[in-house]
This record gives sequence, structure tokens and C-alpha cells, in this order.
Amino acid sequence: MAFSAHLEMIDSEARITLDGELDAAVARQFRQAIEDAAQQKPKKLVLFMSNLNFMASAGLRVLVFAKQHMGSEVAVYVIGATGPVLNTLQMSGFHQAVYVQESYP
Amino acid sequence: MVRQSIPANLSALSDIRRLVHQACQKVGLGETATYRLILAVDEIATNIITHGYEEQGLTGDIVVSIEQTDRDLIVTLEDTGVAYDPRTRGIPTAEDLGKPLEDREIGGLGIFLALQDVDHFDYQRRDNVNCNIFGINLA
Repeated sequence: MAFSAHLEMIDSEARITLDGELDAAVARQFRQAIEDAAQQKPKKLVLFMSNLNFMASAGLRVLVFAKQHMGSEVAVYVIGATGPVLNTLQMSGFHQAVYVQESYP
Repeated sequence: MVRQSIPANLSALSDIRRLVHQACQKVGLGETATYRLILAVDEIATNIITHGYEEQGLTGDIVVSIEQTDRDLIVTLEDTGVAYDPRTRGIPTAEDLGKPLEDREIGGLGIFLALQDVDHFDYQRRDNVNCNIFGINLA
């Protein structure tokens, strides 16, 4: 399934909606969305993942990049991650480093 | 038994995942186990393409073989890239996994996920070919 990362700025929030399958081949699209968002200097990064069907470690590395690029003061929210994707976040300890929620706000 | 040669480039990862998914469906593997196997294969295939071929200036294929035994579904990835046993890679410790993201190391997560996600993993080097073998229980 094709991947897309759609960025929307709402006030000081960067909202990125991820769809499809996030693997190493397409992770640069996600990274580009993070870089575009970072230029707006958001206070919060909100990632909508309810339609993300697959996420490899390449996606996790972009989350690390986001935190390192935007700074620790920018809170990262992961919204609506499905079972297997959520499990990957948990296995890798990322669920402790971001706010995981079923819905937003 | 499925055996297919796929060009070793990142855009072919989805083809590899599709092959494994079809095999999982054929043997009636559950959704969770199917996802675990697909993720493990995808992570190692990514490593083969990136580190085994591209970073060495090499091109080649990944041969994907899938077979069912009495107890397991076995996926084997064969490549002629640089010799590499994923089990020799240091994987993140519990302390590493508890660090804030801004303090995380970028590497090691893929192999960590791959080795965690399957019931059996083996690596063999046969006649200058890397063989990464994944097994997941059918029972």
C-alpha cells in the first residue's frame, strides 16, 4: 500500500497524518514532513497513525530524528496507532517517550 | 514451496512483504504472527540492501524462499552481499530502550525487532551466500 505523510499546521501544532506502509523505502517522505514542520517551530508534534498499517524501524528512526531535530521541549503525540504498530512502539520503548493516545484532542 | 529472486533495492521491500503475507495467508497464520514475521523479514532485507549491497557499491538480488514444515513456516533470505551475521550486532539493552528519544542511538533497532519478532532465527554462510532463516510456529 502506498505511503503518504500529510503535514498540517494548526496554531503552534504540527499535525502529520501517516497512511499506508512506512518502510525504509519511503521513510524519507516522513522525514521531509518532519523537516518542513520543524521550520514552523511548533510547540507540539501530533502524529495521526490510525491508517498506518505497517511501520518498520525506519519509522522509529524518524521519530528519534524528530525529537533530536525539534528539541526535547516539543512534545510528541502518537494518535490512533493500531495493534501491531503500537506493539512495535512498545517493544522499542518509544511508548514511554511519546504521548500515546487513542484520539485527539 | 516458494522461491523467488527479487532485485536488492529498497523499492522491492513491499514485494518481499507481499510474498511473505501470501504465504502466511496460505497456511492460515494469525494476524499477529503474520505481522511479526513480515516485520522481521523486512528489517533484515532492509539491512541486506542497505549495508550488504548499496554501502559496498554492490548490486544483486535477494532470493526469498518460503516453506512449510510440520511445525513452522520458514522464510529464508539469501544474498551475495558482504558477509554479515545479524546476531553479532549489539542490540539495545533495557536501559537503552528506556532512554528519552533525544538521547537514543539511531542504529540497532531493526535487528532488535527482527530477532524479537520470530520464534527462531538462524544465520549461515554457504559458498559466499548469506542465509538469514526465520521460523515462526504454526501451532
